[in-house]
Amino acid sequence: MEKFGEIIRRFGYLLTRNRRRRELEAEMAFHREMADRAGRPEAKRTFGNSTHLQEQAREAWGWTWLDRLFQDLHYAARTLFRSPGFTITAILILAIGIGVNVTAFSLFNMALLQSLPVRDPDTLLRLQRRSLDGQIAGGMPYPTAIYFRDHAHTLSGILTTAEGKLELENDVEPLGASFISSNFFDDLGAVAAHGRLFSPPVDDAPNAHLVAVLGYHFWQTRFSADPNIVGRTILLNKQAVTVVGIASELFPGLKGGFTDIWIPITQQPRLVQGSKMLTDNDGGAVGVWARLAPGATAKSAEAELLGLTSQRRRLDPDHVWKDEYIHSDPGARVVTPQPRMLQIMAIFGSLTLLILAVACANLGGLLLARGVTREHELNIRLAIGASRLRIFRQLFTESLLLAVLGSAAGVGLSCLAFRIMTVLADTPKWMSSMPDWRVLCFASALALFSSVFFGFMPALQLASQKHRRTLARQLLVGGQVAASCVLLILSSLLVRAVLHGIYSSPGFGYEQVVSISPRLEDHDYKAPAAEALITRLATRLRSLPQVTSVALVKLPPLGGGVTRMDTKVDGRPLQVYPNWVSPEFFSTMQIPILLGRNFTPGDKKVVIVSQAMARRQWPGENPLGKIYWDKDVVIGVAGNAHINAMNDGDAVEIYAPAQTEDMPSMSVVFRTQGVPDGLELTCKSIVQALDPKLFPQISLLKTNFHTAMRSVEILVSILSGVGILAVLLAAVGIVGLVAFTVSQRSKEIAIRFALGSSAKQALGAVLGQYCWPVLIGLAAGLALTAAFSNLMRFMLYGVSNLDPVSYAAAIALLVGILVAAALLPARRALKIDIARTLHQD
Amino acid sequence: MLILRVLHSGPLHGYAIAQRIHVLSSEVLEVEEGSLYPALQKILLKGWASAEWGISETNRKVRFYRLTPAGQKQLEAELSDYDRVTQAIQSVLRTA
Repeated sequence: MEKFGEIIRRFGYLLTRNRRRRELEAEMAFHREMADRAGRPEAKRTFGNSTHLQEQAREAWGWTWLDRLFQDLHYAARTLFRSPGFTITAILILAIGIGVNVTAFSLFNMALLQSLPVRDPDTLLRLQRRSLDGQIAGGMPYPTAIYFRDHAHTLSGILTTAEGKLELENDVEPLGASFISSNFFDDLGAVAAHGRLFSPPVDDAPNAHLVAVLGYHFWQTRFSADPNIVGRTILLNKQAVTVVGIASELFPGLKGGFTDIWIPITQQPRLVQGSKMLTDNDGGAVGVWARLAPGATAKSAEAELLGLTSQRRRLDPDHVWKDEYIHSDPGARVVTPQPRMLQIMAIFGSLTLLILAVACANLGGLLLARGVTREHELNIRLAIGASRLRIFRQLFTESLLLAVLGSAAGVGLSCLAFRIMTVLADTPKWMSSMPDWRVLCFASALALFSSVFFGFMPALQLASQKHRRTLARQLLVGGQVAASCVLLILSSLLVRAVLHGIYSSPGFGYEQVVSISPRLEDHDYKAPAAEALITRLATRLRSLPQVTSVALVKLPPLGGGVTRMDTKVDGRPLQVYPNWVSPEFFSTMQIPILLGRNFTPGDKKVVIVSQAMARRQWPGENPLGKIYWDKDVVIGVAGNAHINAMNDGDAVEIYAPAQTEDMPSMSVVFRTQGVPDGLELTCKSIVQALDPKLFPQISLLKTNFHTAMRSVEILVSILSGVGILAVLLAAVGIVGLVAFTVSQRSKEIAIRFALGSSAKQALGAVLGQYCWPVLIGLAAGLALTAAFSNLMRFMLYGVSNLDPVSYAAAIALLVGILVAAALLPARRALKIDIARTLHQD
Repeated sequence: MLILRVLHSGPLHGYAIAQRIHVLSSEVLEVEEGSLYPALQKILLKGWASAEWGISETNRKVRFYRLTPAGQKQLEAELSDYDRVTQAIQSVLRTA
């Protein structure tokens, strides 16, 4: 209590500081007067410097540091203002270093931390099935969701969503549709831009009209923002559906990005004929979100759902996993976090921090160099009694002020970058490019961190007058070179990877291949019927004159569907990409069979493995006849073809012969003579002639290939830009340091010249001190990159993370830039006027 | 402690405190003016004394310090501490 009163009084003193100072002054003056009057001449002496005594008394209030801080800030601002060239350079360097980090953090923040702008985001949960032995399913069967909705007391509502494809009018390209529970819009607080949104009693009735709500962006692009579309009917999968409304452009939905069209999930079976999505207890058909009831927490909901899951296990033991539980994540997020994603983010995060490190090392060098020009001023201040601590504090305050200014400029730059991105990339309107409190906190933390990083050592050295030592500068140079070496090698690796991806064969032919996914399982096809239909489809395709070969495959190349299995073969862990194919697959995709034989019809319990898999699993042995996992015999080895994991150089494939029970989920791929363009319509009509309720997804592999490449190209151009930025920063730093060294030692150079030294010798003597740091920095950078770059293997498109070409190119570029940066200011040294320099001082 | 003790007999201003200590200690102790005022500020901050404006014997407006109940308690605590310590020292000096 007493302590509390003291704190309150202390703050009171802060607010009334000026009045109290005057009071104290008057009081002490009175004291002196009284002492005088008492005729004690020694009083004057003991009283001493009255200003100093007052300061001492005021120190008891505990606010002197604040006064000093203001003094320091004021002085720092004046100093910086007096040398605008230095200040602007420093702020710019920091703005780049901090801006890159703030931008990266903003993206992270947007994806993982920020809530989507929906009603009450904090009580919205995303539910996922998990089991103690590591099984994870993104969605759950619709009946399970309904069971939870009807029985859970900790939840006030359940939202279900499912993504699907629908044919709009007669378009070849199917439309992405979101099937949602009809409480979706109301629960998330969405408003309609035109018309109405869904209402459960009307739209869930068994005989309700088929209805749809259009996404704002889709309405603008496809229907030219025509408000009269509301109330009209459109054809979806050949059925008349009434457009009842347009969602507001500020409504984000739950999946991030754009949604073209929303349909009540209860109407899904009427549009996708034969679909068993609402009754099927297998697999994970729908994504499930839950709204917490008032007073309930995520923990209590998870506990209740665990109980409900056990109840379901008793009712339906086949469809509930052993040790299954329901895991909840915050629901109103653009992305639900996954381990792999966090790893990528950690890599990018450390790269951007490296840039900041380069920027800081750079600025540290500049500050040291500047210290020499301020020597005079500092000497005077020391001479009139300033303590070293006080000088250090003053210099550090200057750095802090710089860092704060740089950080503000960095946030500004990052905002600008976001604004440009939103304009270029056509992002949804609800995404905000304004920094929120997390971004601002992050930027302030960076400012503090970097001021310590770049300002601490120079301030210490200047205050203790050791700044003429070269060791500090050598350390800075070494650090900069090491950091930019890492950045440059990594970006050149990535550039190489993309070039490799684009210009080398991916291991399979894609230019003349078309894939057709009829998605029979969506329509509840049973295996024999599916086999009959697929066989007829293949026969019809073969009879086309352009078609040279036709094959069946479960996961079509570049089709977006990926299955990855973490298995153990002979005790060794292995990540394999399995696929199920027909014998013609290898010739259609132009994947060579290198060893052994192809599948023949009727093959069972056999597999063909890729060359990489054979090499990894049975190095130096004959893979044929080996047993893989579930007693499958290896009968052949195929060439490496990363058909579904193009960017993962470590991917290994394993192919199994497709059986009748795989047929409902099979796709067809065929190879054409000449370009396949324009065949999509023919394919579509062939499929629909076989069964009019089918709406196949048809794609040219080359289109998919180029789309996949383009996104990577953008990523890589950003990354290499970042690498170049780091190198330029380092170059600026080196220019500054060398220029400083030359000006500091101009007298020595002049003497050397006067004594007949050649230009080369003189420069060597001056610049020799940087030689070792650069070499050590290069070596450290190389070692660091070699050690950590295997973390990035999965995005290197098969290029080795120790690829010598990338390393050599990066080092050559770096050394070139460093030499140029060093020679540019050094040339000035050669032009000095010997006589004048020697006569100075 | 000395300041608190002097204030115990009634409110005083800064100069008077120094004088009183000087006189009461038979002119042995001289409170340095440079340490008196920081100490007073500290006492104010701790809440052991309150300050009020009054008129000095020379007719000037000046701050008088008055002991608060908290200061009273502090004084008692310090006095008993002091007694304990001096007694301890005395007994050591006598026996050793």
